[in-house]
Amino acid sequence: MATQRMQVTDQDLLYFVNTIKSTSRYDFSEYSDKSLKRRLQKILEDYNLDLTSLLTNLRLDKDFLEKVVKEITVNTTELFRDPPVWHLLRSRILPRFKSNKTINIWHAGCSSGQEVYSMMILLNEMELLDRAKIFATDLNTDVLEIAKQGVYKYRFNLGYLDNFDKVIKHNPLNFEEYNDVPYEKYFDIDKVRDTITMKKFLTERPIFRKHDLVVDGNIFFAKFDLILCRNVIIYFNYSLQNKVFELFHSNLYPKGILLLGMHETILGPWATRFERLGQAYIKK
Amino acid sequence: MKAFANMNLAQRIQIVIIPLIAMLFAIAGLILNHFSKTQTINTAIIEAYVYIDKLEEFANIVEGKTGPGLSSNDIFELKEYFSKPAFRETDYPSLLSKNGEYLIHATRQGGRLPLEVVQNLKKANSKQGYLYYNNISETKIEKRILVYKFYKPYNSWIAISISPSEVLKQIRANRISMILIVIFASLLTAFIIYLTLKPVSRRLMHLSIRLKQLAQGEIPNHIKNGDRSELGILSDSLNKLIDGLKNTTEFARQIEQNKLDFNFKPLSQKDQLGMALIQMRDSLKRAFEGEQIRKQEDEIRSWFNSGLAMFGEILRQNNNNLNILADNVIQDLVNYLNANQGGIFMYNDNDTEKNLVLLSSFAYNRKKFIHKTIMLGEGLVGTCALEKQTIYLKEIPSDYIYITSGLGEATPKSLLIVPLKLEEEIFGVIEIASFNEFPKHQIEFVEKIGESIATTLNSVKNNIRTRELLEQSQQQREEMAAQEEEMRQNMEEMQATQEEMQRKNIELEVITGAINQTLISLSLNDDGIIVESNSIFHETIGYSKSELEGMLLENLISPDERKEFDHLWQTVLNGQSVTATLHLIGNSNRERYLLATLSPGFDTLGLLIKILLIGHDVTETKKLEFMALQQAKEIENNLQTIKKEQEISNMRQHEMETLLKALDQNCLVSILEPNGLITYINNMNVVVLGDKKEDIEGKFLKDIDYNAKNNPKEFERFWKLLHDGKKQNREFSLNVKGETKWILENFTPILDEKGKLYKIINIGYDITLNKQKEQELNNIISQLKEQLKK
Repeated sequence: MATQRMQVTDQDLLYFVNTIKSTSRYDFSEYSDKSLKRRLQKILEDYNLDLTSLLTNLRLDKDFLEKVVKEITVNTTELFRDPPVWHLLRSRILPRFKSNKTINIWHAGCSSGQEVYSMMILLNEMELLDRAKIFATDLNTDVLEIAKQGVYKYRFNLGYLDNFDKVIKHNPLNFEEYNDVPYEKYFDIDKVRDTITMKKFLTERPIFRKHDLVVDGNIFFAKFDLILCRNVIIYFNYSLQNKVFELFHSNLYPKGILLLGMHETILGPWATRFERLGQAYIKK
Repeated sequence: MKAFANMNLAQRIQIVIIPLIAMLFAIAGLILNHFSKTQTINTAIIEAYVYIDKLEEFANIVEGKTGPGLSSNDIFELKEYFSKPAFRETDYPSLLSKNGEYLIHATRQGGRLPLEVVQNLKKANSKQGYLYYNNISETKIEKRILVYKFYKPYNSWIAISISPSEVLKQIRANRISMILIVIFASLLTAFIIYLTLKPVSRRLMHLSIRLKQLAQGEIPNHIKNGDRSELGILSDSLNKLIDGLKNTTEFARQIEQNKLDFNFKPLSQKDQLGMALIQMRDSLKRAFEGEQIRKQEDEIRSWFNSGLAMFGEILRQNNNNLNILADNVIQDLVNYLNANQGGIFMYNDNDTEKNLVLLSSFAYNRKKFIHKTIMLGEGLVGTCALEKQTIYLKEIPSDYIYITSGLGEATPKSLLIVPLKLEEEIFGVIEIASFNEFPKHQIEFVEKIGESIATTLNSVKNNIRTRELLEQSQQQREEMAAQEEEMRQNMEEMQATQEEMQRKNIELEVITGAINQTLISLSLNDDGIIVESNSIFHETIGYSKSELEGMLLENLISPDERKEFDHLWQTVLNGQSVTATLHLIGNSNRERYLLATLSPGFDTLGLLIKILLIGHDVTETKKLEFMALQQAKEIENNLQTIKKEQEISNMRQHEMETLLKALDQNCLVSILEPNGLITYINNMNVVVLGDKKEDIEGKFLKDIDYNAKNNPKEFERFWKLLHDGKKQNREFSLNVKGETKWILENFTPILDEKGKLYKIINIGYDITLNKQKEQELNNIISQLKEQLKK
């Protein structure tokens, strides 16, 4: 461990963001300052570089820049993360689409795909999967690759099974209800290899694409019934949040639903354009 | 004497026996002579008696004729009879008187006998007899025998004197021939002896030669022999001795040539040499056998030791790859034991099960790729591992061998299963099958090797385990790093979330604070009970905070409006926000009117958790309402009118929007702020002019307008007129991608209700292609203008 690094200043962050912006198509200028500072700090520590060297490297080495961008992004996710949200989806949201011919779902910021698979499992349990078109995007191609494979660590992620039980096997609205859905229906657990592997019928279904919410707009030629964008906007500042809300709003069908993370809310101008149902925002 | 001693037997016999025999013959002759003399004398004596008797008869006759006694007549008469010798020349008979006088005798009549003879005669005192006497004559003394008989009638002796020499005269005549006979007999005898002795002597000679040769250590030939005499026996014995010696020598030679199985019979039980040789042979044999055994033991020991060294080397070389190790061990072991197949099993003792896994097998000089797992205690191998004892079968069950050569070879006969153990800890099992039986030392060898293999298996296992652990720990480190990263990301997310929430909370607090300071705020549960209330409400209603909490809101509602409120409440419970004027009865019947919004609050599951009431006191208004109902009605009418106007304006707006949409599709539309800031340009701008939305939007017209740059006065005028509420048209051309585009722009100022400039809309037309039809287009524009004016 080298000496304690200097705290990243606002000025440092600005240099960093500008460097990235000028040498690539990424734009972190409207990311949350505090979070971005911590990520930058982490990168400087991990690579044991000072800011000047880092910026030089970023300018000179495109691969390095890609790598840094990947490391800046936060990819926390899990299978059936925040079960109450999935209960909401199950009991209040997805039933709205029962009469739809197709259900277009966009996982914006899908990370390593657990949310995508959770959604497909839930849809399948609700017999809606056949009608669903799943789109999943993330800025980080590494995690997208993992998402496409659908292979996860087992021991580290024992909580997945708990969540699965809570969402799929139990119904919080009816404690007597118990659906004995075997895990093998959707994924194989290999304790020796320490893996959870999603079944092929799940992995081959979604369309995974690289996508930057800041600059890319809607890259699919479709509008959506449901957009999940959970724990993404917390890294954005107010202004960018509103831009993203606008993007989602404009690409939702009427009565389409935007689902945000557990602690994310729409405040400000776009609040009135949605009706709120828990973490779900229904386009008016 | 020495010469004699050196003589051989025949000579000795000839020298000694022949004279001896001659002497014996001589002695015998003498004795015979002596006896014949006596006999002859006795015979002569007897003859004399007979003659005397005859003379007595004559005397008797003469006596008879002459009368008694001796008379002259008698002498006469008798003289005749006595006048001739009886048998020989001098044996004349005589008649002797008692005194020894010859009464009658042919020659000595009148003589006398020597005195001593007469005395001897008298002394004899017998009627008849004989006696020796010496007749002494003038010349000689002659020995004579006087045979006599007394004759009584005459009182005289009738006697005959016999001369022995005369008697023996005949005998003497025979002596020479007798001597010749004796000599002849002696010679004959000697010759015979000689003839007899000669072969004996020769044989003795041969014997002695052979004995001499024997004495010198030579082995002579046999002596010819055909009889059972002593010499024959002697020869036989000698022959036997020679044979024995030959045999013994051959035996000794055989021993010398190490042919100890030579069939040798000793001459007899007392054959010391033979027995000694036999003993020697036996002891040599024993020594040889001992040597053989020792040699064998040495071979075994060397086999054992070189095997140990070889396998030690194998085990040392490959102690990091279990499979190669097992392959080499089993292959070399099978070959070293001259067996034909074998397998090596490793004992697996993991958490879930205990079993033996076939690491490698080798049969008929080939490695076999067989996968086999045997449970502990299962079959022979499993049993061996369980009991930790070597199993050795000389008969293998026919279905036991799992490897067949496929070449039709015979099934192995014996099976050896040896546990690989180290201090009673089992590490595996070795199984070897062979066409031959396994000697004890091979079994011991496999057991011994087993320990080494066990040690190596142990260390290899440990190595592998260590490597696995290392890899695992490496993997775990990587995993830990990944997990750490994940945790950091989690942390980051939590922090970001928290910050976001803080930000929102601050925002919410500002809002709530503003509400609390200006508006009435109530928090109700789904039963309608007041949970929270703010001070403005307290002031309005006249109850304190504590009095209100736990109270049903319905209880504050004016009784005649409660039904309506219930209806309202249900709507809210169904999830809709409702705005209404509530008529409340406060403390001491204080009447208050609240214009309030009731909003349901949901939790994440979408379940109703609380209802928020926000409103303000409209009592004064209400009072005014009541006081001037008319006014209120008017207001209501006004409101109605406004509503209608609003509807109309909405319609217009809708129409406008439709129009705008139409325009949007055909025209270049841009919207400007009164200060000239361009806030919007439509797609046609992009299509026709190649302007980029982001380049234009947010810019001021004066900064980008061609006119403003090149003709600022004109632009100023144009702009002023717009601000005065006058529409402005202008045409201009510009170069887009090498093509001259003509645009007619129509700027329309939009005034708000106060007549103040609110926005400027610019509608442009691409008139490039229609320049020649300008007039026509102008007409359409003027038509449009007219429509707009309407």
